Amino acid sequence: MSAFEPFEQFDEVEDIVDRLDDPDPGTRRVAVMDLADSADPSAVTYLKKALGDEAREVRLQVALALAEFDGPETADALVVAVVDEDAGVAQAAADSMAELKDPAAADPILPFVTHESAFVRAASLRALRELKRTESLKPALDAFGDVDATVRSEAISVVGYLKTEDALPALMSMLKDVEPAVRRTAAGALGFSVTTAAAEALAQSLTDSDWQVREIAAETLCKVQSTVAAPALRAALTDEYWQVRQKAIRSLGKLGVAEAVPEIIPSLDHDISNLRKEAAAALGEIEAPEAIPALEAHLDDPDPDVRKNIRWALGRIRSE
Amino acid sequence: MPLAQQSSSVPVVVDDDKCIADKGCTVCVDVCPLDVLRISDQTGKAFMKYDECWYCMPCEADCPTGAVSVHIPFLLR
Repeated sequence: MSAFEPFEQFDEVEDIVDRLDDPDPGTRRVAVMDLADSADPSAVTYLKKALGDEAREVRLQVALALAEFDGPETADALVVAVVDEDAGVAQAAADSMAELKDPAAADPILPFVTHESAFVRAASLRALRELKRTESLKPALDAFGDVDATVRSEAISVVGYLKTEDALPALMSMLKDVEPAVRRTAAGALGFSVTTAAAEALAQSLTDSDWQVREIAAETLCKVQSTVAAPALRAALTDEYWQVRQKAIRSLGKLGVAEAVPEIIPSLDHDISNLRKEAAAALGEIEAPEAIPALEAHLDDPDPDVRKNIRWALGRIRSE
Repeated sequence: MPLAQQSSSVPVVVDDDKCIADKGCTVCVDVCPLDVLRISDQTGKAFMKYDECWYCMPCEADCPTGAVSVHIPFLLR
């Protein structure tokens, strides 16, 4: 008698597979669900075969079930599902594909980046993003010229995740895209860079026509860790959107731009408590003694978070 | 006058035409944290056996065919 005896011993997958040939689509669907629950890697082969099922709901269940598995074989099955004639099946496959984590899964997906359907191109790029394979750089850069804005956005994310400085010029050029959503993704993707070129490009985006692009540019500038953009950030303190001003204040605080202190102080009187909170935090971060009177004047701010930040800032400045 | 001995409506309602419990599906029974759903011996479909619902919704969200609907009392909404 062996030392370890499992409670049950049976070949689960084999047992389920027989039901995949049942004449009733409902039974086949439940068999697919059971295959997903088995978590047995050998199930992927059968799931791929089940993608040829005539019933839409069975194929949909397969696309959902494949999210439970990883690796090149799973990706191989998902690229079949993502080009399915049924939009629901294709969408479920696209979502499952984005769950892949194994870098080897990128190989079957790469050829689909140039697929004739924009939906498939976008789904492939979205899946490639997290797999971070250097081979995706070239096709992603090619997709920067895609006619579809979603595809361009996904391509930018792929390049942003790869964090290669070589791709900076291409990324910066996307800050000039016609579509605001694409410019937003590009502004966010530049955060990995510490070069002054990236900071200068983002500084230009602080005057973008779309306020959300300006907001993301202001936010990303604190990651870039370069003070080249300080004058542009200070100019953004007069932006018509408080959301942009809030992010600009945060970045100025993180970068420790002491010249901005007199321009940040008026925000302590703004109606939006989030802005007052950010201003108090930034003034503390810059540790500017000249901000003490203004901070003391707001010790009784109606918002508890603002009061907390003001006390934190005063403590920091006085401990100098 | 007939007396109502049992409540005639429960919060979790299953559309028998959509339910595939008779094919072996037990998703709603498995996800229910209060274990109040069962598969009927007569119809083979899922139903609410005990009216102790928390209105937590996984049975409705996870049902593969969209057969389950949870009716949340107006005052809880």
